[in-house]
Amino acid sequence: MDLVKEREAFVRSFLRKGVEYTEALLEESRELRSEIADLRAENARLRAQIASDDAIKDLLKTIERLEKERGNLLERSEQLEQTEQERRDRQAAVEQEINDLANLYVANFQLHASFSPRRVIRHLSDMAGQLVGAAQYVVYLVDAEGKRAYPVASDGLDEAEVQPVEVGDASPVGEACLTGIARVREADLEKATREDPAAVIPVMADGKAVGVVEVITLLEQKEGWANVDHELFQLLGSQAGVALIAANLYDAEAGPLAALRGIEEKL
Amino acid sequence: MADLSCLVVEDSPMMRQLLVFALARIKKLAVTEAEDGVDGLRKLAQGRFDLIITDINMPIMDGLKLVKRIRSDETHKDVPIIIITTEGSQEDRQRAMALGATAYITKPIQAPQVIAKVKELLDV
Repeated sequence: MDLVKEREAFVRSFLRKGVEYTEALLEESRELRSEIADLRAENARLRAQIASDDAIKDLLKTIERLEKERGNLLERSEQLEQTEQERRDRQAAVEQEINDLANLYVANFQLHASFSPRRVIRHLSDMAGQLVGAAQYVVYLVDAEGKRAYPVASDGLDEAEVQPVEVGDASPVGEACLTGIARVREADLEKATREDPAAVIPVMADGKAVGVVEVITLLEQKEGWANVDHELFQLLGSQAGVALIAANLYDAEAGPLAALRGIEEKL
Repeated sequence: MADLSCLVVEDSPMMRQLLVFALARIKKLAVTEAEDGVDGLRKLAQGRFDLIITDINMPIMDGLKLVKRIRSDETHKDVPIIIITTEGSQEDRQRAMALGATAYITKPIQAPQVIAKVKELLDV
């Protein structure tokens, strides 16, 4: 009997231990499963991070490429702007050149298209006053004896201020009549005076000064000489004398054919 | 074929030719020249103009009288008028503007300045 009880106790103890062991195994298994799940989640997170890092790397590369492209485009844009500016400057310079050439052409054309000495003098006045922009000027002609320069046109001065000048006297006009040398003030044009005018341009013909254009002061808005002004002075100096002589010799009543009479003998 | 027409009234042949040269660079703009105010009125009586450019100091009829006459004429009273003045003659300029001039250009004349002003007024 005792043996039976002992056996039962043993079996019960064995079974309890088996249950306990099984429960412990189950618990361990649950824990392991939980760890596996955690590891899987961690693994998935890490995989996602790696993928994300790659995407970031790709994005960074794209940004870098776009930055480079942007830089290139900016550089190209700056080059284009510079080219456009150069084109605009060039266009302005060409416009100015056309304007200057038109001024010179018109001045020359008008000087030589006139058979009237009065008209030639009018053109000289227009060149000084309207093209050069003189506020005060006097146009002189030298008399046949070459002793005196007498005023034939002026603007901006009182009548009393416009007087004949002795050729060779100490005045700028007298000196220009004698030497035939132009005198153009290059600096402080606003300080120009009658004694020290802005420009004195001898009107030459066959190497002699036959007149002088004296530009005393300039219009307020004119800050300095333009390139074309020097060209106009050259034109005045070299062409106005010839135009005046031709106009003076021309006899309007006899007409142009009479003016050419005998020319073949001189050719 | 010109679409627009401009009358230039200027007694100096040199300045007139310079203005015509400048205006020739505006496409489809026909230019008629007049030697003074009276000649200008004659030309105005012969046709319609879209723009008038006139000097102030001229013999026979000056630019101020011309502006006044144009503004009292039904046909051309609304035509823009550009007057040519010197910087110093502010009084003349003010009188011309008061009489109805639209704009002014100061001497010495610069072609780009003329072209820009004409294009602005003709909207071309």
